[in-house]
Amino acid sequence: MGKFVIGLSSGSIDKLTGAGVMMSGAAADDMEIEVYVLLTAARAFMKGNEELQDSCADYPHIKEEFFKTLKDNSVPTWVEFFEQAAEFTDVKVYICSLAGKIWGGVKMEDFNHLVTGFCGIGQYLDAAKEAELHVNI
Amino acid sequence: MTNEELNALAIDKSVDARGTACPGPLLEAKKAIGTINEGQVMEVLSADEGTKVDIPKWCKKQGHEYLGTVEESGYFKIYLKKQ
Repeated sequence: MGKFVIGLSSGSIDKLTGAGVMMSGAAADDMEIEVYVLLTAARAFMKGNEELQDSCADYPHIKEEFFKTLKDNSVPTWVEFFEQAAEFTDVKVYICSLAGKIWGGVKMEDFNHLVTGFCGIGQYLDAAKEAELHVNI
Repeated sequence: MTNEELNALAIDKSVDARGTACPGPLLEAKKAIGTINEGQVMEVLSADEGTKVDIPKWCKKQGHEYLGTVEESGYFKIYLKKQ
């Protein structure tokens, strides 16, 4: 049922969670999903950073309250959302090679289990052009 | 279908997704629909307002028959038939 492409430019928990929610919707619709991880977003995908909760782009002054509300409402973590989507459809997560370098990630083993491989910006733009649905967060 | 007709349906599968927020109930429904046969009826229990809108739309896209929704106190019962 088409391809959903996300340009993920933020590693903030609220943005990652938002991406995860949209991925779930796309997975329910049997859409293939490709996530292109750009710039600051790559930090979240570095091995060992899965549990980090040090960034909330929107309303950072109420970050703790926001995180508590997510937990109180049994909202999955962003990692769980990504894993859940992959149970239902084909999910590929590509790290922009420049973004990886910025955070010291130059090899696949520097990144967590969600990551499929590296990409260049041209691959992302081509995917966005061909996608049935494209968002950049 | 009327609420009385919906409440009288023979349910082949019931999914209680009241403990999850959107998009949890939709994914629970997707998971469960694979366990029933064509023509069988599934009921999804959800306390999430968005699900009331999402599941009928999902049924249309997936080709299943949305039968209706019954509002209970604090949650909804959403009925669909697998096609």
